[in-house]
Amino acid sequence: MKEKDREQKAVTQDKTIEVNPAKPEKAPETVAPPEDGGQRVKERRFRQTDLPAHFIERRKHPRIKTEPPPPPAPPRLEDYAAIIGRPELDEIRFLARHLQGKTVKMVNSTAVGGGVAEILNRLIPLLNELEIPTKWEVITGGNDFFEVTKGFHNALHGGDYNLTKQIQDIFMAYNEQNRQRMQFPEDLFVIHDPQPVGLIRSKAETRGRWIWRCHIDLSNPHQGVWDFLLPMVDQYDAAIFSAPAFTRRLAIPQYLFYPSIDPLSEKNRELDETYIDKVCDDFGIDRSRPILTQISRFDRLKDPVGVIESYKLVKKYVDCQLVLAGGGATDDPEGAVVLQEVMEAAGDDPDVIILNLPPWSGLEINALQRASTVIIQKSLKEGFGLTVTEGLWKQKPVVAGAVGGIPTQIIHKLTGVLVHSVEGCAYQIRYLLTHPEFATQLGKNGREHAKENFLITVNLKRWLLLFQILLGMAKPSKDALSVGA
Amino acid sequence: MATAPQFPATRERWARSPFYFNSAAHLLRIGRFRANNLQELLEAIRQCPEASIFQHTFQTLEEHHFIREGFSNDFSHWAFAACNEVELAERLAAIDVREFTSIATLRERIIHIIESYLQKNPRAASRPAMEPFYLMAADIVVVPTPYVARNIEEFADGLRRVSIHSIYYHFIDARLRLKLDNNDFSVWLETELDLGPAADRLKRIDIYTSTLEGVRRGILKVIETEIARA
Repeated sequence: MKEKDREQKAVTQDKTIEVNPAKPEKAPETVAPPEDGGQRVKERRFRQTDLPAHFIERRKHPRIKTEPPPPPAPPRLEDYAAIIGRPELDEIRFLARHLQGKTVKMVNSTAVGGGVAEILNRLIPLLNELEIPTKWEVITGGNDFFEVTKGFHNALHGGDYNLTKQIQDIFMAYNEQNRQRMQFPEDLFVIHDPQPVGLIRSKAETRGRWIWRCHIDLSNPHQGVWDFLLPMVDQYDAAIFSAPAFTRRLAIPQYLFYPSIDPLSEKNRELDETYIDKVCDDFGIDRSRPILTQISRFDRLKDPVGVIESYKLVKKYVDCQLVLAGGGATDDPEGAVVLQEVMEAAGDDPDVIILNLPPWSGLEINALQRASTVIIQKSLKEGFGLTVTEGLWKQKPVVAGAVGGIPTQIIHKLTGVLVHSVEGCAYQIRYLLTHPEFATQLGKNGREHAKENFLITVNLKRWLLLFQILLGMAKPSKDALSVGA
Repeated sequence: MATAPQFPATRERWARSPFYFNSAAHLLRIGRFRANNLQELLEAIRQCPEASIFQHTFQTLEEHHFIREGFSNDFSHWAFAACNEVELAERLAAIDVREFTSIATLRERIIHIIESYLQKNPRAASRPAMEPFYLMAADIVVVPTPYVARNIEEFADGLRRVSIHSIYYHFIDARLRLKLDNNDFSVWLETELDLGPAADRLKRIDIYTSTLEGVRRGILKVIETEIARA
């Protein structure tokens, strides 16, 4: 194949990017990300199959929204009653009643983008609705500060780092600047992640209780960076982690708050079958045959090539399709390289459908997950793995790598299946495809597991409990605690 | 002027003390103990606070209330899934928390099972597990619900309405509070409504082979039979 044949421009038409645009004269065709400043990928050729022409056409020209839709209004607490049940909602309201009027300040380092901002955007309106006035403040800083915090972030994940005195000074100077700018009259302060951790210096001047919510994995941190942060962390009244494996030894109580999904968000809410059909049609997915799906960024740690190898092993026995959908290939140079590798691994198999979706594709991802027969998340390294949670919530059998927070979500053969290899992944998928009753039972258990542990309403309840405990409304003891009795 | 309560025509027995349905919410604390093999698990179980034993035996039943097939306690699951010690997992899974009215005796039982297994299989003691076991504990907060029962019909109504956490709290967790081989529902039925046989039938409901929703249905079936008999 000539280089020029492998390069291809994305075609924009009616706000739809043709991500798999066809070469007019050649039957087998291509996948390319949107034209985005030079990140191009080689085109794919599809071999001839008896797949109906309209599927081939859509696989060459998937319809992908190029502009974000307007954001929907955040849900009200009452909207969750149909999902979690009235008694659960009553318990949340009861726990909140004793906290009414108590004030909370949440502080993080960004108002948009990233998982923390997404969580706060959902959580804070619910706390305010429960009459617990909650304010969200974002720390400010120059480029030098955010370069330092990005370096800290990577170092805390185990990367190399040269922690100089100058770096420490920059970190502390901006924390001090923010501390001077902010006021701290609230009853509770929740400081998210390491960037604003130095605000704890205000603790002595406040009457409130201070909580450090760490969203990142500290299991293997750069020792120097951690030693620098630890004296500040130990001044908090409590710390929260997303998984027991992510913690360090601290002098303060540590609590476990699993990350959560919002069942009413675009990515997770119930969808009409007609909409799911439409999305499948837009992407050329055949709903009459099994669909295996992995949703993830094009990132080697998500092992998309391993997923394709597993699919090929499955395909020898079961006629199925593989959907690899995610983002990251447009704005991340490494993502584009991985996408290229993925397409090379997929080769000319038209049943491997690769979708490089923009960040506003929540509804489409939701539909893809709901259309799937099996959800895969064959990560080699993972944080918590919220795409697994999403699959569980949609009552799908999930096959996933036993890494990071995934074993917390997947109890092997009870709420899903854990795998450690390409071959294991392939075998488990084959088993699920040929034993639909087992797959259905896993899906049912998985949904209950998600409902019990990983929904935003459960997270809200955890916050209410922690606030009560820290404010002395419910005191930890050997026996059960009692509130408001 | 206060009026006398209107007694339902179908029932004559009213409780001297009403049954207040409570529920329980819990917050998981991450403890300082972790185990990378069975020997370390044994040490951790010897030293950890009682709240951790409670968490991984009683409380985990609530957290996994929806699983009917083969989930008994976290120690058993870890022995199976992370250590691949099937025999040990089976023995640990056979522990029925209903036989224990104190955590101390439950802890002794777990220690005995692991010790005797490691004596027979000494190489299993230090074999690395595929993932560590983290011992946790929960801060539990009792939450009142609006449901109160003064007779058996109201009791059935409350059972239908409360959350699954309330069923767990009264039916399973109660054993440790009461320090008896019993549960809150059976105690109330027997002492307040003189329904001893129904109370006994509740005690025979198997919490390990059905979900907590299944347990709720089982309790309701007993209660509805009593109502129909009246």
